[in-house]
Amino acid sequence: MTTPTTGFQTVDMHINVGPQHPATHGVFRMVLQVDGERIVDCDPYIGYLHRGFEKLSENEGWHDVIVHLDRTDYISQFNNELCYLLAIEKMLGVEAPERAQYARIILSELNRIVSHMMFYGAFGADVGAITPFLYAFRERERLQRLFESVSGARLMHFYFRAGGLKEDLPSGFEAEVRGMLPTIAAGLDECDRLLSQNEIFLSRTVGVGKFTAQEAIAYGCSGPVLRASGVAEDVRRSNPYSLYPTLDFEVPVGKQGDCFDRYWVRVQEMRESLKIVQQCLDRMPAEGSIRTPVPRYPFMRVEAGEIYFHTENPRGDYGVYIISKGGTEPYRMRLRSPSFSNLMALKPMLRNAYLADAVVILGSLDIVLGEVDR
Amino acid sequence: MNLTIPFDPAIRILILAAVVFNVVLILTYAERKVLGHIQQRLGPMRTGFHGILQAPADAVKLMFKEDLTPNSADRLVYQLAPFLVFVPIFMMFITIPITATLVVQNLDLGLFYLVAFSSLHIVGLLMAGWGSNNKYALLGGARSAAQLISYELPLAFAVMGVVLLTGTLNLTTIVHNQALVPLIVLQPLGFVIFLITSLAEMGRTPFDIPMAESEVVGGPWVEYSGMRWAIFFLGEYASLFASCALIVVLYLGGWMVPFAGGLDPITSTVLGAAWFLSKTMLLVFFVFWLRGTLPRLRIDQLMAFAWKMLIPFSFLNLILTAWALVYGDELPSLLPFIHPAGSWLIVAGSVATVMFAYAVHRQTRRTA
Amino acid sequence: MIGVLRGLVQTWKTHWRKRVTVQYPDERLPLQPRYMGFPGLMWDAEHDEPFCTGCQVCMRHCPTQCMTVTMMDNPKFADGTSKRRKIIDYFSINQSRCIACSICVEVCNFEAIEMTHIFEKANYYPDVVVDLPDLLQMSADHRAHKDTMPSRETRDQL
Repeated sequence: MTTPTTGFQTVDMHINVGPQHPATHGVFRMVLQVDGERIVDCDPYIGYLHRGFEKLSENEGWHDVIVHLDRTDYISQFNNELCYLLAIEKMLGVEAPERAQYARIILSELNRIVSHMMFYGAFGADVGAITPFLYAFRERERLQRLFESVSGARLMHFYFRAGGLKEDLPSGFEAEVRGMLPTIAAGLDECDRLLSQNEIFLSRTVGVGKFTAQEAIAYGCSGPVLRASGVAEDVRRSNPYSLYPTLDFEVPVGKQGDCFDRYWVRVQEMRESLKIVQQCLDRMPAEGSIRTPVPRYPFMRVEAGEIYFHTENPRGDYGVYIISKGGTEPYRMRLRSPSFSNLMALKPMLRNAYLADAVVILGSLDIVLGEVDR
Repeated sequence: MNLTIPFDPAIRILILAAVVFNVVLILTYAERKVLGHIQQRLGPMRTGFHGILQAPADAVKLMFKEDLTPNSADRLVYQLAPFLVFVPIFMMFITIPITATLVVQNLDLGLFYLVAFSSLHIVGLLMAGWGSNNKYALLGGARSAAQLISYELPLAFAVMGVVLLTGTLNLTTIVHNQALVPLIVLQPLGFVIFLITSLAEMGRTPFDIPMAESEVVGGPWVEYSGMRWAIFFLGEYASLFASCALIVVLYLGGWMVPFAGGLDPITSTVLGAAWFLSKTMLLVFFVFWLRGTLPRLRIDQLMAFAWKMLIPFSFLNLILTAWALVYGDELPSLLPFIHPAGSWLIVAGSVATVMFAYAVHRQTRRTA
Repeated sequence: MIGVLRGLVQTWKTHWRKRVTVQYPDERLPLQPRYMGFPGLMWDAEHDEPFCTGCQVCMRHCPTQCMTVTMMDNPKFADGTSKRRKIIDYFSINQSRCIACSICVEVCNFEAIEMTHIFEKANYYPDVVVDLPDLLQMSADHRAHKDTMPSRETRDQL
């Protein structure tokens, strides 16, 4: 197209989306350069939720850090705690008792369902359907109440400890989870029926925000975003930790790495998580210690050294890097947050997408700003 | 046909305004309840028994809210826009007959008038989008203009089928023509197309693209507050009710209660109005139900759907209707006890509807 | 088309199902025994004084520094009616900063602080800084209604 020499000249419009925009899932801001409805370029801005958690950790005891970890990725708290505590346990050279290990896996996998449910609801809202959000929260609520009975808090659990758990699982926990699994599975089927085959939903998501496996790897994507592109990479399989090697589950992968695949991988993962929970319940010893003795909390010291440990969070490869100088607190503490790496893929995905797709693509990355900004 | 409401038109319009306002209150309450129940919630429960006073409470709240005008807004355009949205929609009610006697002004060109006014509020939305001096509002305004203008065509073509069959543009006469059979039987494809386009005209899910909350945060409405916002809101729900009433009039037989001949005028009026309103409310419920279920289309998909699907099929509907009217009587009847032209219309219409459904299915699957 | 119809059937079915939400202030979901609300200070009925000695370990470990604690000599120790040498003088918790993490409960050497079930602190004139009498009252209220002691039974195992 030739530019007219006289008269009108068109310029691209810049639209500021966020930090208060309803579709940015937190305080994320992006400046979209749009030509009509088509996105030419995107400038993401992060840091609105920066709380200096990594620096804070240097002044707090080994266990105080867990409180902050709950608040990094505030939708998958148990998973964050698990990652950090496995790292600490490795440094301490202790291992949690079997019952505690199973309990941790059960809670982490249920937390994965909670997190993916949150994604499901928010993604539904992004594509314009209002009901999926409520359906997802209905199922989420059951699990949140279970978590409340376990840890005393609905969100910020602070339940895992070095060497085990804070306290034993409440009596009747196993039976309750067993009773809950079919309900959750049924709720999941309902969510599935509502959205997964809906043609309007499909036309909004299939082929939108495509990302090839090479690109995904190059951008450091992990978790469902990477698996949707067809890479069967799951830390639970590739670098197994805790009791995951003994558990039987599949790693769902997508085909073409579009928004629908990212959605579908997550839905499948919820089913796999249910499978894992079922197995853990079958194998978990009914009685037994829940905590390997380690020095009591304020006085706990970790030998000098450093460690990088990573686990599979709902959002991807969550890693902690800890340096200890032998004190009662970490000397240095860094996080590898999957949301941050996944968010980097936003810019290439958004090019040439429609404005309405920007929301869907951002939603399909399933970022948690608490974790991006830390 | 003389009117029996014993008031002059000005008073009738005032009554109509009061009625429309109350209808909107009822619809907002109904929508919140229906959506709540679809989502296993309770919906409003606090104000009054099961929250029935919620809508008046909201209305009072909106009246007392501050009416803000952004500093950089185009003041006149901005402040005028809500009225230019509401007034055309309100005007639509004037000629919609609830029963043969309960109508403000029966016009001979009623349908023409309705189709004309149903597209006039685009101007108001564009003005709101432009006058707000907000990029979201501008995008929303542009979207609504594109959407409403594209959907105006299939809407008009679908209506042409009805006009061909009844031979009139007078809505009361159209309903009288449906005394035996509602036109949905003769015009199934027209009905489907008219329903879809009406959804788009109302800006309801899945066509709520101009107001998409997750994308343009309310579109043209984004800067409005207080009473001006309430007038937009009024307009949206009034248009919902008007469109549903229009569908009932055109396709579902209006107030024509089956097997209710020979009643005295008052009873038949009350019965007819109740019948009419219950059909309208069922349609309204259907619209709410869709809102509770469906995601939103994208603007390009919406346009493609209008131009590639609705317009060709509305042409097809028109051609089929015309053909059956002209040549149908010369052919043998396809169905027992039915006039040949009618039977051909029913069969051809049903086949065309199935074709339409299949084409939509193909289209959505291809994009999938 | 089929997917849309399936969705419609799903929402239709759900429409007639029992509601899952409750009307909060009229109807409450039961709190779990371990529920962690705001912390409160426990009262030692035996010696008629708080358990808290004002040792400040909770204050030092609080992740949000929401506490202020000062200690004083216990007059009852001089009388010989108590074995506590030191006693809490001033204790305040800024509840707008408290994140209800239960670290204070965990580090306390005297089992003097507990997580109550109190969480509804919103009112028109928020008094966010709560001092000693109120904290003791919170715990007393909590105990009057619930005899659950979150995370205390298992303390010995830790």
